Amino acid sequence: MPRPKEKIITFTIDGIEVQAPENSMLVDAAKHGDVEIPVFCYERKLGNPVGACRMCLVEIEGLPKLQTGCSTPVKDGMVVHTLSERVETAQRGVVEFLLINHPLDCPVCDKGGECPLQDISFGWGGGVSRHLDAKRHFVKPLALSEKIAIDRERCILCYRCVRFSQDVSEDHQLVLLERGAHSYVATFDGHPYQAPFSGNIVELCPVGALTALPYRFRARPWDIEDSGTVCTYCPAQCNVSLTIRDERVLRALARENDEVDNGWLCDRGRFLAEEVHGPARITSPMVRDGGTLRPVSWDRALQQAAGILRRAGQRSAALIGGQATNEEGFLLSRLMREGLGSPHIDSRPAGRLPLHLLRQLSEPCLQAKVSDLEYADVVLLLGCEPQLQMPILDLRIRKGIRHRKLTLVVASERKSALDRRAALTVRYAQGRGEEFAVALAACLSPEQRGDVERLAAEAGCDLQSLAKICELLRGSRVGVGSSPAGEPAAGQEVVILWGEALTSGDDRIQTAEALLDIAESLNLHQIEGAGLLEVPSGANLRGLREIGALPNAGPGLCEPTVAAGEADRREGGSRIASQEEGGLGFAEICSALAAGELTAVHLLRCDPLADLERPEAWHQALAKAGVIAHAAHLTEGVSLYADVVFPAESHPEKEGTVVHPDGRIQRLRPVIGNQGENRPEWLVIADLALMLGLDLQVDSAPSATAQLVEAVPFYEGITLQEIGGKGVRWQEREAAAAFPSAEGARAR
Amino acid sequence: MSADQRIRPLLLADIDEPKLATLPVYEARGGYQALRKALSMAPEQVLQELEASGLRGRGGAGFAMGKKVSFLPKGSVRKYLVCNADESEPGTFKDRELMQKSPHMLIEGIVIASYAAGIQTAFIYIRGEYVLQADILDEALAEARQARYVGQSILDSSHSLSLVVHRGAGAYICGEETGLLDSLEGKRGNPRLKPPFPANQGLYQGPTLINNVETLSTVPAIISLGGQEYAKLGTQTSKGTKVVSVSGHVQRPGNYEIELGIPSREIIYDLAGGPPDGRAVKCWFPGGSSSPVLTAQDLDIPYDFDSLAQAGSMLGSGAIIVVDESTPILDVALKVAKFYRHESCGKCTPCREGTNWTVQMLERIAAGEATPIDIDIIASVCENIIGNCLCVLGDAMAMPVGSIIAKFRDELQSSLRQAQLRLGEIGAQIIASESALAAQGAPIASGVPQPAGPYPTGEGAIHMEHSL
Repeated sequence: MPRPKEKIITFTIDGIEVQAPENSMLVDAAKHGDVEIPVFCYERKLGNPVGACRMCLVEIEGLPKLQTGCSTPVKDGMVVHTLSERVETAQRGVVEFLLINHPLDCPVCDKGGECPLQDISFGWGGGVSRHLDAKRHFVKPLALSEKIAIDRERCILCYRCVRFSQDVSEDHQLVLLERGAHSYVATFDGHPYQAPFSGNIVELCPVGALTALPYRFRARPWDIEDSGTVCTYCPAQCNVSLTIRDERVLRALARENDEVDNGWLCDRGRFLAEEVHGPARITSPMVRDGGTLRPVSWDRALQQAAGILRRAGQRSAALIGGQATNEEGFLLSRLMREGLGSPHIDSRPAGRLPLHLLRQLSEPCLQAKVSDLEYADVVLLLGCEPQLQMPILDLRIRKGIRHRKLTLVVASERKSALDRRAALTVRYAQGRGEEFAVALAACLSPEQRGDVERLAAEAGCDLQSLAKICELLRGSRVGVGSSPAGEPAAGQEVVILWGEALTSGDDRIQTAEALLDIAESLNLHQIEGAGLLEVPSGANLRGLREIGALPNAGPGLCEPTVAAGEADRREGGSRIASQEEGGLGFAEICSALAAGELTAVHLLRCDPLADLERPEAWHQALAKAGVIAHAAHLTEGVSLYADVVFPAESHPEKEGTVVHPDGRIQRLRPVIGNQGENRPEWLVIADLALMLGLDLQVDSAPSATAQLVEAVPFYEGITLQEIGGKGVRWQEREAAAAFPSAEGARAR
Repeated sequence: MSADQRIRPLLLADIDEPKLATLPVYEARGGYQALRKALSMAPEQVLQELEASGLRGRGGAGFAMGKKVSFLPKGSVRKYLVCNADESEPGTFKDRELMQKSPHMLIEGIVIASYAAGIQTAFIYIRGEYVLQADILDEALAEARQARYVGQSILDSSHSLSLVVHRGAGAYICGEETGLLDSLEGKRGNPRLKPPFPANQGLYQGPTLINNVETLSTVPAIISLGGQEYAKLGTQTSKGTKVVSVSGHVQRPGNYEIELGIPSREIIYDLAGGPPDGRAVKCWFPGGSSSPVLTAQDLDIPYDFDSLAQAGSMLGSGAIIVVDESTPILDVALKVAKFYRHESCGKCTPCREGTNWTVQMLERIAAGEATPIDIDIIASVCENIIGNCLCVLGDAMAMPVGSIIAKFRDELQSSLRQAQLRLGEIGAQIIASESALAAQGAPIASGVPQPAGPYPTGEGAIHMEHSL
């Protein structure tokens, strides 16, 4: 679907000639000329304006009545007045109307100091009240949900929260009840408002009617500062602004980035204070002593860890979880490869894929980005559930369906929250995602693959729905997959959102190939705005893969090189053979640990018992091995088996970079100091390396970033300044040409 | 022109014919002949006739009907026709009589209009309280379907129409065309932002023609007479006849069909008999309770769209409410304000808060707790409402109340003064009775009675299970 093109026009506002995009709403266009038109109900993110609050009334020459600036698209040559007496009288009138039923309890209201109603009353109101009668009364405050309190007396009925619930998150829970001056916001029957994105209504509320219970009465705006960073609880990597008071994170607000989150935030990312500051956080290094973990000094913990790794040498392994940054993963990989001579590093829990497939799957021309989900003609969800795995994408897909006529196809093994919005929903048998992908690929290009009927039966889905998916994916065009070369790329913009779990079984290589076949038969390489988008199982797994935290790939998805470690030489360098070139992956590390072939494992933000499949096998493996863990909380594997625990930073403390599944490199900035005795993880890894005789030559997080940028050819030249607050997609930079495209792309 | 020389009525001609609501009687009186004539013409020709008639919408806004039809996009997009039968304006009861006594005329008009506009789906949105009329419409519709005036290939022509009678749930705001559309779609009946206008994006986002019952009921007469002929009736800008509902202090309240442009006095005095003997007109609403009031001096204004607009009021739905000298003007203002406060949907600020505040102030005047300044404040609040709302409901209260203040300020002030005196007397009585009781040694049971505010404690308060 074509992206909207902006045409710049000139209009006059308060005597100033201003240039702004044509058809942008007057309130937005006015900002280009530094003119503020006050609004309450208008919020661009919420979609179409409703014109309910009437605060933005302005005078437009040629029109007899005052017009709402929020709903009037700006045209070339328009002449607008916002300071005329007529406008001022009307705006003063609206402020007066809004305040007659507002309790004006600003001194005890959480919103006081950052309240649009306060600001607008001050800027556009009359300053005195002529209202002597009784105000509207409600019982207050009430718990709208476990996290949100509602004070209906403060509510100015701007409809924002209701519109969010109805039109954005589409949970349809918030409604307005009663009529006229008796109207109030409520849920049907008083049920608690339980929805994955409920917290957004607190941020949307222009008064103190909706407040977050965890933040209620914790701070005033002049006590706090807001700092921007990126949430790393899931691969969506939403941009957030964290509110800090006295070195504590009190709340998270969305930091709008249209290419990532569209200005929304899920409840897990929003209500994070407990996870960051809760009593369960590990705040000092610990060592297992007499069977239990006890806090010790950093020296003791580092020495103990160095001892374990030194003894294991080449027979050590590293498992890296999604919350680790690129820098941490990069330094740990260097420690393993250069310091210990071990190639056994993995960050892809789904299992090892051959290097050429990894490269093909992340080829720049095949990479869809988040905003493509909104503008695509068709989005296919393949074996993933956005609302659980990358929640914010759920909202983006809904937006596409609502505003841009996106067609959604859901193919999954279980119910999806998006089923109701899908043009077609297909279920395959549990655990048969791999077979389904193969069947779909076969159905799309039957001449290449055999018996579609048999394949569909294996996947547990019927042939008809499979054919229907193909029909929707292909659209009206015919036989484009086999069109002769030279013809312009034809076809629909299709984005396939696929879950990492699809490529986790024994047939994962076949599945990955099937995905590439599907992409090829739909011509996704060539169509702008089409492509694949992976939903990884951890926040930064794409970044970790690209910086080489894989058994079969080094930085930049090149062939890994492993130096023989000093410590290992005396053992004669008996390297464990793997099924392929390179080191062992998750599953093989597990059996090698259990078999005693590997003797130590370094867990960087990864707890096999909590995060991975087959926990029984991991119990055996971890029980036998020396275990070093970087962890923020005492999860099962850590508390049962770790010999050394390094306290890990939560994302508000962390400095470094992460990579969004669509290739956007984003920057984490520390917004609070390290908790307790915590140290940055890059420093811990560097110290550990030093004890093992390897100088990683990092003295700060940015120096680690610089090192990894140098190591990854397609990151070349990226600086922290360039990444900035909104990140940068490496595919859109010149250096992307250095991406190691798979030789003879379709060779197998 | 006197009442005796009136034109031959078009809409109410046979209205008292027994069983006109049934198909045989309607057909015997020439019913559905206009439809046959229309179907023999091309849709464009029918549209031309409608435009030539100069018929202006009878629901309140007075927009040219033919023009409205011509605004609809041509071609094969899915278009809708909605008949607005949510007749809720106080004083208006013309549609009720038309639907109750001559439902086939409405159905015929809808079929012809849909033919002219190329529409195949139509709805009649009838207010929920019109139970009898909705039942009659349902029966008539069944008859019309049976006789193939409605349905597939109407009278073997290429035109098909599915027509549905939908009953509202009882809200004035659903008579506002976009509120009606939301309600018809199954949503809360709130007005929508315009533009887009329903002719472009209406019901289910499709182009929609919305017309009042009387407007559509006039269509068969226009086709029978011919647009040019119809346009000869009435004045230059207000053509045709109009059914006027006259109510209030008149001796013969009811619906009268008049030629637009006759003096208002003729309607009120000659047709409706004027106020009871010995009383004079104090004020009158020319077009439903939402029109600014006119006084006895305005009685000679011709009753048509433009003359009334020039006089500072409007023809609206054509409902004349006459108020004679026996009624205090404060009661009139309060009645009007309370109605619109009750019916405000609450979506936009000036209407939601302004209607509520106006009632609060008028009640204080009635209770003697106001000062003359409050009358000024009411006037200013009304000014802040007019023209600043999402739809015209706010204006519907502010215009009559504002006009009452402008025209009857002296009477309001004297009402206030009397109320203040009453309040003072009540206070004095209480003090006297309390001191009498105290002299007898009895305990004082109560102090000064608390004035009952418009929101007694607890009203509107909501209790949820999960209170903090």
